[in-house]
Amino acid sequence: MQNVSPTLAPTSVPDARSTKVIRPPVFNPVSILRRLGEFKAYTDLFLTLSLHRIKVRYKQSVLGIAWAVLQPVSLMLIYIAIFSIVTQMPSEGMPYAVFVYAALLPWTYFSTAVSAATSSLVSHQQMVTKVYFPREILPLSYVVVGIFDFIIATSVLACLMIYYKVAISFIILWVLPILLVETMFIVALSLLFSAIQVQFRDLGFAMPLIMQLWMFATPVVYPLSKVPARFRSLYLLNPMVGVVENFRHVVLQRMSVDVPSLRISFVISAVLLLLSYAYFKHKEATMADVI
Amino acid sequence: MIDLRFDNVSKRYRIRQEDATHHAGWLNKMRSRLGPGKDFWALRDVNFEVRHGETLGIIGHNGSGKSTALKLMASITTPTRGEITIRGRIAALLEVASGFHPELTGRENIFLQGSIIGMRRREIHAKLDRIIDFAEIRPFIDLPVKRYSSGMFVRLGFSIAAHLEPEILLLDEVLAVGDMTFQKKCVERILELSRSGMTIVFISHDLAAVERLCQRAILLERGRVAGEGPVSALTAQYLTRMEPTADDRPAVSERIVKIKSVQFFDESGQASLQFRTGYPLRARIDYEASTEVGPAVFRLHFFGLDERLHCEFVSGVNAAPLAVTAGPGAIEFRCDEIGLQPGIYHMDAKAERPDGSELTVLRRCALIHVGEGKQVHGTFYAPHTWHPVSDTGASSRETSEHLSGII
Repeated sequence: MQNVSPTLAPTSVPDARSTKVIRPPVFNPVSILRRLGEFKAYTDLFLTLSLHRIKVRYKQSVLGIAWAVLQPVSLMLIYIAIFSIVTQMPSEGMPYAVFVYAALLPWTYFSTAVSAATSSLVSHQQMVTKVYFPREILPLSYVVVGIFDFIIATSVLACLMIYYKVAISFIILWVLPILLVETMFIVALSLLFSAIQVQFRDLGFAMPLIMQLWMFATPVVYPLSKVPARFRSLYLLNPMVGVVENFRHVVLQRMSVDVPSLRISFVISAVLLLLSYAYFKHKEATMADVI
Repeated sequence: MIDLRFDNVSKRYRIRQEDATHHAGWLNKMRSRLGPGKDFWALRDVNFEVRHGETLGIIGHNGSGKSTALKLMASITTPTRGEITIRGRIAALLEVASGFHPELTGRENIFLQGSIIGMRRREIHAKLDRIIDFAEIRPFIDLPVKRYSSGMFVRLGFSIAAHLEPEILLLDEVLAVGDMTFQKKCVERILELSRSGMTIVFISHDLAAVERLCQRAILLERGRVAGEGPVSALTAQYLTRMEPTADDRPAVSERIVKIKSVQFFDESGQASLQFRTGYPLRARIDYEASTEVGPAVFRLHFFGLDERLHCEFVSGVNAAPLAVTAGPGAIEFRCDEIGLQPGIYHMDAKAERPDGSELTVLRRCALIHVGEGKQVHGTFYAPHTWHPVSDTGASSRETSEHLSGII
């Protein structure tokens, strides 16, 4: 049994230890935001878990990584069939395939990440009730998977753009701030929905329906210009409008970004992110009891 | 130096009556989800401290709040009242292999578990080999853990927790699983960690293990601290709280024999529930028969905490069955050297007819604690004697001649 007894260093100097005091949860936004710092100690777990998430997802499926591409591509084919063959949907002078795919890319990132994150806590009941770690790691790891899938699916867009000879310019660099706003929004909803799902499983059941309706409330299969002007201001309150429309503009049409709509998306996402985080952290304290 | 302190800690759980609202509308359902439910206090005003480098045991029966206390220490949930102070990095093994991901390999799971308790990948890397060797699963380390046997699962789970070297280690019923050899290895490892200065909180049903590992223990009862001190001082208190339950199955027919009590006596003839391996034990069963029964056999079954039958005393092994007549009666079993290994055993007392048909049974009529006595290795102690043999080859030839003579 020589493996049992190699030199065992005495545990570190007592004074160097961190002290933690656990008190009953009280709703206090300041102390909640202070807990952001705790996440730093768990970055390794966050990365390990996200990486594993990607591995696990593709480990047991035959098509593996192709699934990241298959979903937006098959949706694209369906929408081409409906909106380009059955009926004529204006696509701002673009071939419909590339027009719809460029919108499906940020949309799929949003819908898959939010849907998966919503059930993330519930599906990891075992972990939540048996070990401690900042719980936001679970929904966030699904957002990382979404980003990963997004990058893989981008390759198809590149092929489509080459095939249809769509030129690009430096304006395309705008995708970075656009994706940042989208990710903020995704994180906000993931935190909010996953925390709600712990208490009300109804949300999980409603998710496919919500996403379906939401997609038609977002300019994915049609351009923003087709939305009647009188509904426009209400319509723009959907943060995904500013994201998807602008994404398509900067990638395909070399049009500079529409700042007002992106600003609306940013402000709503930022406010929602703060509120969701506070709500999540407040609920986190007793999650293990309720789940 | 205090590493862990509970200050007036209480924990309340809300029990919502889901069943009652099963047929109710969604509005009522919603109200029951959000409204106040029935309160259940799992812990009430609990105070204790764990000193630096100490191994503290927490004992108590099911539902006493042991696991809730551990969940609070591990930050899995928060107290309803009071304050918990923790100094140092904590790791908990609440249920062996609970955080495992079935699709990932053993190696990947080691990294996952390690990062859950807040270790860096580099630190885990340094201990990888020791973890794998301790768990004895090197050939399987790159297989997904869902392919592991339950034994391998348990070994890996314990090995990770025992090697990741947190500053405070919480262990919940870790010795309840795994085979004997590995359990022994676990105990040795815990002792080693304890000697190296690690602060350990150990929760177990197994009083013998708590006694071996912990300098001090606290006894929880219905969410309150009922006692604190050396384990041996708490054992008696713990054992007396186990109440006998009569057979709860519906009586097939009128019970004509009733077992009234089961008592135990130690070597000095004192009534006791504490014994030692290899020392005498006497058990007395008092019964009462409503009518003449005729021949009957009494059995006393010793169950371990794993609900396995370890041994039995049975009347009528060396003699004819006892004839039970109407009225009260008693029989006594006597064992000069009990073979049970240290641990806790609970008893069923039974009476049956010689053909095996049951007359009566009294389940969990007693709980005894067997402490270390004549320590031997193996699963049980076999009474034996020894003496030096001074004879040489000549006499052994004599013996074999003698044997061949018989043949």
